[in-house]
Amino acid sequence: MKNDLGRAAAGGLGLMSPPVGTVGDTMITSSPGNVVHTSFTHRLLPYDGADRFLDGALPFLADGLAAGDRVVAVCGTGQEMLLRDALGPADAGVEFQEPRDWYRHPARTLADCLSAADDATGRGSRLRVLGEPAWTSRTPPEVVEWQRIEAVLNVAFRDTGAALMCPYSTSLPAGIVAAARKTHPETVRGGQAVPNPGFVDPWSYCAQCDREPLPAPPPDADELRLDKADLYWLRAYVTEYARQTALPDEDLQRLLVAVTEVVTNAMRHGEPPIVLRMWTEPGTAPALVCEVADEGRWAPGTGYGLIPPRPGSTAFGSRFGLWAVRLLCAAVQIRTGEGGSTVRLRLALPGAAGAGPRTESEGFRALGFQNPPSGVR
Amino acid sequence: METPWFAERPVGEVRPGDHGWLAYSGSEERDQVIGTFVREGLRTTEKVVYVTDAPAHRLPGVGPRHGIDVDAYSRAGQLRVISRRDACLDRRGGFEPAMMLDTLGREVDKAFDEGFRAVRLTTDYSWLLKPPGPPDLARMLGCEHRVGDAVSPSTMAMAICQIDRHALRPDELAALRDTHEVLVEVNPEYDDGILKIVRTFEPDGLRLEGELDAARHSVFAEQLAQVSTDRRRVHLDLSRLGFIDLGGLHLMARHATGLPAGEPLVLDHLAPDVENVIEMVGWHRLPGLVRGGRRTSPDPEGIT
Repeated sequence: MKNDLGRAAAGGLGLMSPPVGTVGDTMITSSPGNVVHTSFTHRLLPYDGADRFLDGALPFLADGLAAGDRVVAVCGTGQEMLLRDALGPADAGVEFQEPRDWYRHPARTLADCLSAADDATGRGSRLRVLGEPAWTSRTPPEVVEWQRIEAVLNVAFRDTGAALMCPYSTSLPAGIVAAARKTHPETVRGGQAVPNPGFVDPWSYCAQCDREPLPAPPPDADELRLDKADLYWLRAYVTEYARQTALPDEDLQRLLVAVTEVVTNAMRHGEPPIVLRMWTEPGTAPALVCEVADEGRWAPGTGYGLIPPRPGSTAFGSRFGLWAVRLLCAAVQIRTGEGGSTVRLRLALPGAAGAGPRTESEGFRALGFQNPPSGVR
Repeated sequence: METPWFAERPVGEVRPGDHGWLAYSGSEERDQVIGTFVREGLRTTEKVVYVTDAPAHRLPGVGPRHGIDVDAYSRAGQLRVISRRDACLDRRGGFEPAMMLDTLGREVDKAFDEGFRAVRLTTDYSWLLKPPGPPDLARMLGCEHRVGDAVSPSTMAMAICQIDRHALRPDELAALRDTHEVLVEVNPEYDDGILKIVRTFEPDGLRLEGELDAARHSVFAEQLAQVSTDRRRVHLDLSRLGFIDLGGLHLMARHATGLPAGEPLVLDHLAPDVENVIEMVGWHRLPGLVRGGRRTSPDPEGIT
């Protein structure tokens, strides 16, 4: 019924997109006149104003409604208003989500979105998300992590059949748009999806992200060499250090679980000496940083815990732990190579200034408005 | 509810002066606790006095399987089994607390004269509380207060009063428990000062205390496998578990997937910190693990 409603509404508005015959996009006909895309798509929608935004976004959503997909639009107020206007009554079939809720944490967002895709598949449906990650007002390291997610999700969602479309305002910093061209297999132009020649293999992309060495720990970082230490004592040590910082109590347990996991890995797979360093970083994104370094080098193809384990699978794989560590920390940075391996865990300290989605006025400017249009909620 | 004032003690740590309480859920639990109490007494040349109508060789914890020669200990006077009639019943067969007190006093004095350094007393009171007669709780309470008064100052005597926890209503059970200073339980299956694993019986399972990490995964896995042998739902009481690592959670989930179809591994009384971590990882990613009961107040035996 939802299917009929969506198709009728979309058809009535003349929004049905022409069939998009593109690379890697299998189409099957499940019933007469009902075309279903079965393979995963991840498309970039560059836009420089409301028209180009709607040209790409509207057919994408309408196709989803017509096919009975679970259709989610993650966007700010301005975009939501535009889309609702254009969709008309069919807008009831679209779940509009706040970017600050959806794009809360890179690893968690990826995991939740993947779960949603699996749930949809389980119901014989498909997940379709229109979403623009909130790029501005994030610190440079946060931006790198969100870009990494854009790359890695190409691997993570491969078997889900989900359809993801990422609008990118051309007014964003050039580096962000350039990175998007590396992480999306296809680009939408005038309602047509075309292969993106700039697309880079996700793992190569991650390697590029990690080419820069991590900044050196501050000279006053607390340093502890771990020689066969019982991790019980390590946790007591970390607890004592954390208690002298502003780390909230509820985050302490997460830190302890994360440190225990990373040190356990280093003891199993790494080479001594294993060194633990802790320090705090002030600034716009104050953090408690906890680094575990050893002399070993990770085997290639370990995945770095970036791909969520699939729910329901009995074998989580050996990287379940590292993936979970990413959920527990604000950010995890890994470097491994000739000089040994370093895993740096960052936990946010209170006082972080405005880390999150861009402000509404920024969103309107991206759509080409100088000021918020009247009638906005 | 106030923090309970009684001491909780594994049976191996019961000491002279302890007036102990064991509300057992079934014969398995009773035999493990009382069997240990009897056996450890006999092996350490303490005197064991058991008030029961059962024959000596049927006592928990004795017999060839445990390497305890009942007859030899009985002959030597180290094991004394006294029938209820001789210990505490009046001429009409009614329970007489004063007689029980006399019996205990006499046996302790005798053990002292015989040169034993300590005497272990135990009896199962459940028969008093079960039909046909009405449970005479007031009489029992009075008796237990006096037993406590007699045992507590003693440097020789230690006692464990056994009660089938299903013989009384929960409030009655709690009232009777409160006349004891020491709650006795099984000896831990494992205790290295960091992690303690204790067998639980109702529900069946294990209680974990302290911290569980990779250094103790194998001992935990072993205990988990042992407790899961019968066809029964296994509960893990995690109320006193302060830390569990991701490998530990993974281990539990892996164990749960090996259980008979649809049978979960139940995690009871999770500490908020630990639950927070599980929620962050997602219960749905730990198939086979389910959140069980929550304990709102400290209740060491889960009676109330």
